[in-house]
Amino acid sequence: MRDMRPAVTVTFDGEEYEAFAGESVMDAARRLGVKIPSLCYLEGLSLWGGCRLCVVQIAEDHRLRPACATTVAQDMEIKTDTPMLRAHRKAIVEMLFAEGNHVCAVCVSNGKCELQDMAVATGMDHVRFDYQAPQREVDASHPKYVFDPNRCILCTRCVRVCDEIEGAHVWDVAFRGSDAELVAELGKPWGESTSCTWCGKCVAVCPTGAMAYQGKAVGEMEHHANIVIRLATARTKGEWLDPEEVG
Amino acid sequence: VPCRAGTVQIHTLLDRIGSGDGVWADLRHLEQLCATVRDTSLCGLGQSAPNPVLSTLQYFGKEYEELLSDEKKEVADA
Repeated sequence: MRDMRPAVTVTFDGEEYEAFAGESVMDAARRLGVKIPSLCYLEGLSLWGGCRLCVVQIAEDHRLRPACATTVAQDMEIKTDTPMLRAHRKAIVEMLFAEGNHVCAVCVSNGKCELQDMAVATGMDHVRFDYQAPQREVDASHPKYVFDPNRCILCTRCVRVCDEIEGAHVWDVAFRGSDAELVAELGKPWGESTSCTWCGKCVAVCPTGAMAYQGKAVGEMEHHANIVIRLATARTKGEWLDPEEVG
Repeated sequence: VPCRAGTVQIHTLLDRIGSGDGVWADLRHLEQLCATVRDTSLCGLGQSAPNPVLSTLQYFGKEYEELLSDEKKEVADA
């Protein structure tokens, strides 16, 4: 099917591309093969804009903008890769690692983790900040899944997928700022939650090892975040995308 | 993230420098961290919270440096 949306011309790091009017800088970049790091963004879910990894610079504008929440415009000069942006992104990944307990060597998602991928993509090989080493209890009360808040980066993908796609809204973020944490049903153990349908979409979209199937050993957990765009497309257009194609 | 996690790290670094345990690298990290938090934060708090730290670094840099012990300064210079 040919896309009939009007086109606009934009440049990514000096190279001209044709984007569709109304789409976000992130969607355009992904379609055109321009790599912009991101964590909280997931196609098919509402925007969160909280991870700040996808910040880009527009022309000489000193205010940086998140690519996921910026709409393309005619003649927009988008810079996705400058020394300053690289430094900022690296610092953000460092902050995430310092904030929780991200020990890849003992993590179920080791090798298949988006946070790990971001560390590689931004070249973060050590953390300059003090590790905050929080003491957070693992919630293994659910018969099928485990939630480890130590590995949670509060991207809210699970919150959004549970609310928007499944319609159960089991998950939400409690408290604010550095006290923020993910809770099931106003703070109950996950296994005691009555609204959870056991659908497992939260586990599928988790970028890290925070949510996993019971009984997975180190490096065994595989997430399937592309389920969301398939479900969203099926719902709005009535067709199933090929899982191979949506990556 | 920059606001939620960054302000905590700024606080940690300021505390350490203030108590006299700071090293020269802390001062450099503090400056870079403040720039990241200011430029990349989503919320108004994150965008403005580093400003007082940055302006004191600019106008009272000497006072910060005096808090770092000389011994550590020599190590950093070497």
